Amino acid sequence: MQSNAALEYDYTVAKLFTFTTILFGILGMIIGTLIAAQLAFPELNYLLGEYGTFSRLRPVHTTVVIYGFTLSGVFATFYYVSQRVLKVSMAESKFIMFMGKFHFWLYFVGALLATISLLLGYSQSKEYAQYEWPIDIVIVIIWVSWGVAMFALIGIRREKALYISMWYYIACFLGVAMLYLFNNMAVPTYFASGGLGSIMHSVSMYSGTNDALVQWWWGHNAVAFVFTVPIVAMIYYFLPKESGQAIYSYKLSLLSFWGLMFIYLWAGSHHLLWSTVPDWMQTMGSVFSVVLILPSWGSAINMLLTMKGEWNQLTENPLIKFMVLASTFYMLSTLEGPIQAIKSVNAIAHFTDWIPGHVHDGVLGWVVFMIMAGLFHMAPRMFKKEIYSKNLLEAQFWLQTTAVVLYFTSMWIAGITQGMMWRAVDEYGNLMYSFIDTVTVLHPYYAIRALSGVLYLTGFLMFAYNMIKTMTSGRELSEEPQFRSPMA
Amino acid sequence: MFHWLEKNPFFFSVGVFIVIAFAGLIEILPNFAEASRPVVGLKPYTVLELAGKEVYKKDNCIACHSQLIRPFKSETDRYGQYSLSGEYAYDRPFLWGSKRTGPDLHRVGNYRTTDWHENHMWEPTDVVPGSIMPAYKHHFTNIADIETAYAEAVTVKNVFATPYGDEFQATKEAWEAHKAVVLAEAKTITADMKNKDVKEAVAAGKIPEIVALIAYLNRLK
Amino acid sequence: MEIRELQAYASFFMSIFLVVILYWYIIYLYRSEKKGDKDYEKLGNIALDDEIDSRPINTSSVTPSEKKEKDK
Repeated sequence: MQSNAALEYDYTVAKLFTFTTILFGILGMIIGTLIAAQLAFPELNYLLGEYGTFSRLRPVHTTVVIYGFTLSGVFATFYYVSQRVLKVSMAESKFIMFMGKFHFWLYFVGALLATISLLLGYSQSKEYAQYEWPIDIVIVIIWVSWGVAMFALIGIRREKALYISMWYYIACFLGVAMLYLFNNMAVPTYFASGGLGSIMHSVSMYSGTNDALVQWWWGHNAVAFVFTVPIVAMIYYFLPKESGQAIYSYKLSLLSFWGLMFIYLWAGSHHLLWSTVPDWMQTMGSVFSVVLILPSWGSAINMLLTMKGEWNQLTENPLIKFMVLASTFYMLSTLEGPIQAIKSVNAIAHFTDWIPGHVHDGVLGWVVFMIMAGLFHMAPRMFKKEIYSKNLLEAQFWLQTTAVVLYFTSMWIAGITQGMMWRAVDEYGNLMYSFIDTVTVLHPYYAIRALSGVLYLTGFLMFAYNMIKTMTSGRELSEEPQFRSPMA
Repeated sequence: MFHWLEKNPFFFSVGVFIVIAFAGLIEILPNFAEASRPVVGLKPYTVLELAGKEVYKKDNCIACHSQLIRPFKSETDRYGQYSLSGEYAYDRPFLWGSKRTGPDLHRVGNYRTTDWHENHMWEPTDVVPGSIMPAYKHHFTNIADIETAYAEAVTVKNVFATPYGDEFQATKEAWEAHKAVVLAEAKTITADMKNKDVKEAVAAGKIPEIVALIAYLNRLK
Repeated sequence: MEIRELQAYASFFMSIFLVVILYWYIIYLYRSEKKGDKDYEKLGNIALDDEIDSRPINTSSVTPSEKKEKDK
């Protein structure tokens, strides 16, 4: 029992990151929808002159949704969840409050600068690691300030045992730090050449095949430590809390954690199957990808079993629906990934639209759904207001679910069509199709994908509207809801 | 035995770190020296080609084009000899890409010409009906950053011992002296080009991005 | 010894070592619960009972005096 009865959790930083989650989500998804439409209707490439082509915008889309939207969501939920599971308020330490705010503002300014730098064409051209070295340095400072805030908060905790969500947040911090540093090692040419040329330019420390290995070690594991690990952290907190059911098996969650940590990194080389990296690495990547099903499904099944005997909540509470669908999509994409990592399947699937299809059933169905559900759960507690509209929430759910299904089905068909056409030969063994044949045939699927983008974006705007309305005109709550989030 | 895991964040973090770093140590580290060895006869990129590679990176061509020919008959028939590790020894960064919305470009220099690229970059559908590639008209007006490309050549020579000649020195004078070499190479490209503005720019000592880009694409063999 | 060979041995023994640790960990989890030293499932309640003034759910091994208190 605490002596200070007036002590409350301080959600200042969590609120700030909630705003950027919404902001970057809208921005990233608008660009995503635009570039999806560009593939179906190429005239759309010329809306912004040199800055509006598919090629220039594609990294802007990926980085804004990954490092803008998703990381904002991770930070927002972190500053909310960590206080609660550690049973300590940020208001108890001036230092932690300062670090949290510093973290936010540096992140916000850094994210804007980074996005502008990509639009201007300052790029290392390594996927998901495009930022040039000055931006990289800012990112390192942002990351370290998060780490300082995290470990300081852990340092003053009342709850001595670290809840499983904290394990995952810590792993997110460590994993990204390690991989990011190694992948972005580069020599700025301005300094190495005695002041010649652009100060922004750098050359990678690694060349060719080595660079590819390091890059995909990062690329794959950015997926692990940004799209999987912190999102699992969220579901391990929000699903039990929203439903009032403790995790089905806490021991299983611990075992899945270690399994995921150990196995995920090995699978990185499955991005380089049939390339010039040594065969044994490719085989390792393949095998470990399949093994990865175990810890992934361990977490997902644990979540579904948490709802055991409580499935009626699925019909009554839209947030439960979001989270259960999220873990279902997590199961789908963690099964699909290993299938694509089998070498013979990869021979067809690699370089095709099946890959973006796979990524998007993971991110749209799992990451975004989980982040939105988390923020909806947090809103009544942070703002002490009832969620503005349950009907809007329901409509949004079905709209976005439809969008995800349209997205991955169209991209499955597109990818396999293209993969098969590239290798099709006639009776004399000659290639049957010129490359352009395999492009034009995809038009309807690209059009469907663009449509799914519009639907999903609409759903996200409904989410943003619902959140803002909750903050501004939701009914005031007299006391904090214990489990189920109240909604009008 | 394991109770400290839940309660000691420091040792927990160390444990996580060891478990995640293990894979990288085993998979990446030991192969480093071998994978960076160039194939026999591989020449480093000229400064003009490096500038073209910058254009390729700036406009993020890897979003749609790969530079990796896999060892399948369907690929070698379409694009040529499958790719070898040593061919990429001077590629910093590697530009394999991960998506073929357009065709592979690793050996595009074998079957496409300066003239073809000029027309194609100006208006892709004129050359390939049905193409969904955007036109890159701004390459014809933007001036390539040759100085930065020279700085890159000097950097990789000094830091990574890439075999550039002795004339590549980290001084203003060496750079001024090398400009003429780059311009001469650019003129061999523009000799095959039609666009008047580009020709005039090169005659005036400025190299539009398209010239550097074509030099780079022609080099891909 | 060549680096490749070294790498092979390192990988092999490290993998075995980690597998042993993992199994040891599983056995530890279940055994300590059976013996009543710890209750891992109780940790799940950290998420449910997370008011700032609620009592921490601490799993440090139960001391005899605490046990007596509980029994009361």
